[in-house]
Amino acid sequence: MSIFEELQQVIIDGKAPVAKEITDKGLKEGVKPSEFFPKAIIPAMDEVGRRMRDCEFFIPEVLIAARAARAATDILRPLLLGDEAMKPAGTVVLGTVKGDLHDIGKNIVGMMLESAGFRIIDLGVDVSPEKIVNAVKQHNANFIALSALLTTTMVNMKAVVDALNAAGLRDAVKILVGGAPVTDAWAHSIGADGYGKDAPSAVELARKFVSAA
Amino acid sequence: MMTSRERVSVALQHEEADRAPLDLGASVVTGMHVDTVSLLRQRLGLDKPGTPVKVVEPYQMLGEIAPDLMDALGVDVVSLGGPSNMFGFRNENWKPWTNFSGTPVLVPENFNTDPEPNGDILMYPEGDKSVPPSGRMPKGGYYFDSVIRQEPVDDQKLRLEDNLEEFRPISDDDLDHFRREAERIYTQTDKAILAFFGGTGFGDIALVPAPGLKNPKGIRGIEEWYVSTALRRDFVYKIFERQCEIGLNNLKKIHQVVGNKVAAAFVTGTDFGAQNGPFISPKAYRDLYKPFHVEVNNWIHKNTTWKSFIHSCGSVKAMLPDFIDAGFDVLNPVQCSAACMDPSDLKNEFGDRITFWGGGVDTQKTLPFGTPEEVRREVRERLKTFGTGGGFVFNTTHNVQARIPVENVLAMYETLRDFGKYPLS
Repeated sequence: MSIFEELQQVIIDGKAPVAKEITDKGLKEGVKPSEFFPKAIIPAMDEVGRRMRDCEFFIPEVLIAARAARAATDILRPLLLGDEAMKPAGTVVLGTVKGDLHDIGKNIVGMMLESAGFRIIDLGVDVSPEKIVNAVKQHNANFIALSALLTTTMVNMKAVVDALNAAGLRDAVKILVGGAPVTDAWAHSIGADGYGKDAPSAVELARKFVSAA
Repeated sequence: MMTSRERVSVALQHEEADRAPLDLGASVVTGMHVDTVSLLRQRLGLDKPGTPVKVVEPYQMLGEIAPDLMDALGVDVVSLGGPSNMFGFRNENWKPWTNFSGTPVLVPENFNTDPEPNGDILMYPEGDKSVPPSGRMPKGGYYFDSVIRQEPVDDQKLRLEDNLEEFRPISDDDLDHFRREAERIYTQTDKAILAFFGGTGFGDIALVPAPGLKNPKGIRGIEEWYVSTALRRDFVYKIFERQCEIGLNNLKKIHQVVGNKVAAAFVTGTDFGAQNGPFISPKAYRDLYKPFHVEVNNWIHKNTTWKSFIHSCGSVKAMLPDFIDAGFDVLNPVQCSAACMDPSDLKNEFGDRITFWGGGVDTQKTLPFGTPEEVRREVRERLKTFGTGGGFVFNTTHNVQARIPVENVLAMYETLRDFGKYPLS
């Protein structure tokens, strides 16, 4: 089994300490940091997404796989700064909307997008529209991914769309929304660009927009 | 006309009573946000504007469903709960407070909050401001969420006792409370009792962060807990084993003082479903949770007349055969907005074996964002689907939230009154 196949398997199995060991070992053996992504991390998390879709994996399995992927990426990211081969697929400003403190879903989306090669600017929970607009400007983001768990806070997604319009930035970004009470119809009604029913859907959606651009 | 107690009893036996029984406020997942209670009371002419409503559950800010409101709506079930709330203090010695939406409310004396510089509100376990806060309401928010107090986890140092701190043998004072309250409700009202004795919910994520404990130790973070159910399963299993032993001993003592006055016991509120499917695999349910559910339910069925009540949000149809097999008699909240939770399918496949307590109207879309006409239509459909043949207690899918048009709430209860009588039309 190649080192990439090995790393893929331990990420899928959610073994973070082993993922770290294999990554370290590969680097010592002269593997280029940028190689790990297309050959191990991205395919591993794509497989995790497929298993989630097909009801083979559930939240705990996805969380431990994402932690294992992160154990590898935490080692690799600092080595990739300025590496042209590792240009991110896109920059995503991520957050749970104003008034809402729930972040499990948002975190899974962030980890899966990150493992798919996107750069993630995670603003955390209870994020105001102003903060999102500022982050889009500062990081030159081309995606915003918003989460809400509550019917009382999902309405605050619209405020983000409005704030982007007011700042003249609406066309610079694609807005993806998700969370338990959120639906495709809701996304459409507030003028978002897409709705992801789960984390793999969010990744698929983001990739679709990237390839269409 | 039947008494409320008879009505609920008949429904739980899967027979048609005189009308579909109604629960509002008999548990912390079948209640109503204080803002909505306040508006509803005013619309029904029970209160003048500005009259404060008691917050009986401070975490989700649920309002009191007082006897006058119960009478006005025809509520059939009341709660028999422990003396302390989620934050570990008693609901007593009320004082005025105003929430972010400007609703005047009454809160217990130990509802002690501090503002944060950003406008958030912090809440303290047992109301003790000398320890770190355990709850946070974001500025403009409607509820508290747990502040996660999680030390970095060192697997070598994990101790079962740390995750068992909140599960203790019941005190004589608490037993006396249950005895008195059960007696009072049974003799002074005709309502059915939904009891929450605590301690038999395994891995309830609302309780894992232990908002009522001053210095919780062990695995207390939400993500850390879910990760642990996969990576440290044997350890979690051992926590459940010990918890189950304590819980069963407590149930035995409680049963001695409340007897069979209880219609249903709220055994677990652990969420096994998410919006699009089960939260965990059915196999993980069978391996990690079901053995303890079987143990608790077997004891209940062998020794009491109580029905066993499971609350689990989300898409749980794939797990219903296991829930039924584990001995549960009642499912709540029946989240029909989740995947694979079609009301007719649920009723046809499982309606003869489990009572649906909830699912009366959707609270993610219809109640907050629909028109009164849409609410009426859905309530009629759900009454017909779930109510036929009994085995149904009307309740919204989970608590009625804040920011709900009061017209929609009125439309729901009017429809229940007009169309909830058997035979259903």
